[in-house]
Amino acid sequence: MDDADEALALRARSGEREAFASLVRRHQDRVFGFLLRMLGNREDAMDLTQDAFLKAWNALPGWRPEARFTTWLFQIARNAALDLLRRRGSLQFVSLDDPPQQGDAQDPRDAGPLPEERLADRQRIDLLQRALAALPAGYREILLLRELENMSYTEIAATLGIQEGTVKSRLARARAAVLDNYRHHAGRSPDDLSA
Amino acid sequence: MTYPHELHPSDEQLSAYQDDELDAAAHRRLGAHLAACPRCTARIADFAALSADFALLPPESPGVDLAGVIEGRLTAAPGRPRTTPRAPGWYGLLPLGIGAAASLALGIALGVALPTGGAALHRPVALTVFDPFPPGSLCAGRDACYARGALSSGVMR
Ligand SMILES: [Zn+2]
Repeated sequence: MDDADEALALRARSGEREAFASLVRRHQDRVFGFLLRMLGNREDAMDLTQDAFLKAWNALPGWRPEARFTTWLFQIARNAALDLLRRRGSLQFVSLDDPPQQGDAQDPRDAGPLPEERLADRQRIDLLQRALAALPAGYREILLLRELENMSYTEIAATLGIQEGTVKSRLARARAAVLDNYRHHAGRSPDDLSA
Repeated sequence: MTYPHELHPSDEQLSAYQDDELDAAAHRRLGAHLAACPRCTARIADFAALSADFALLPPESPGVDLAGVIEGRLTAAPGRPRTTPRAPGWYGLLPLGIGAAASLALGIALGVALPTGGAALHRPVALTVFDPFPPGSLCAGRDACYARGALSSGVMR
């Protein structure tokens, strides 16, 4: 828990713009990075980062200190991202949480090792970015919140407005989806990977 | 048998184990299974490798100080308490401006009338219509709609 955020947010809530400017400086990189990876381009990420902070400023009177400021801020940012993806028509309406169909696929544990030893960091980054871009937004966001923002399941549940049990299952499916994507590309040559 | 209904723990359990989000007993039980099961150990290793890949992603930054940009946009727009109407465009936003001004006046009046109140009492009454949900949460199917229900049922801490 970062009490400094909450103290600044309380001051910003009562109208102190300097306190809000400090919050922007503390979090602009995180929010921008999250939005960039959600949306895939810097221009949209830049616009939405600004929009998210402006919305946060306007909504701060409704913020309560019981809600961690960063969790609340990321709720705003992800809602903005989903709205844009929806307007673009790139939000996929897929079930993120239904149990997988019986006999759907081979057990991934029997699928053989991933080619991690053979890939250089640059290739691994390309592979991950490609996999993230191919994921439904709901999987992408939960992975980003966990792996990059290091949020606990409780914090992710609050940010996404879902139960912790759903965080647990969705995160597992999101990870499995990335690993499936890795395997799908693992058969290709390294040149294909960076294409 | 440690996992009576299935030979191996589920991905969900392995993923939560990786995140250290299982309770102590489940964590211990799964740890014991892993010690004896190369198959699940390999799956956990895949999850760990994936986390390591995320750690390789370069940090991103907008490359400018957005606080200044946002300050400029706030100055150009009305809408929050205690923001004095300095911007020339403020009067152009009537009738919204009238409402805001009335609210501001009422808020100040309340603040004067209730000097022992906390900061919240100084806020214009109109702003209490803000619901606690962040803006922009339009619904588009189950995954976009769950925020309201879950938040109102107290998931938010
Ligand atoms: Zn096993």
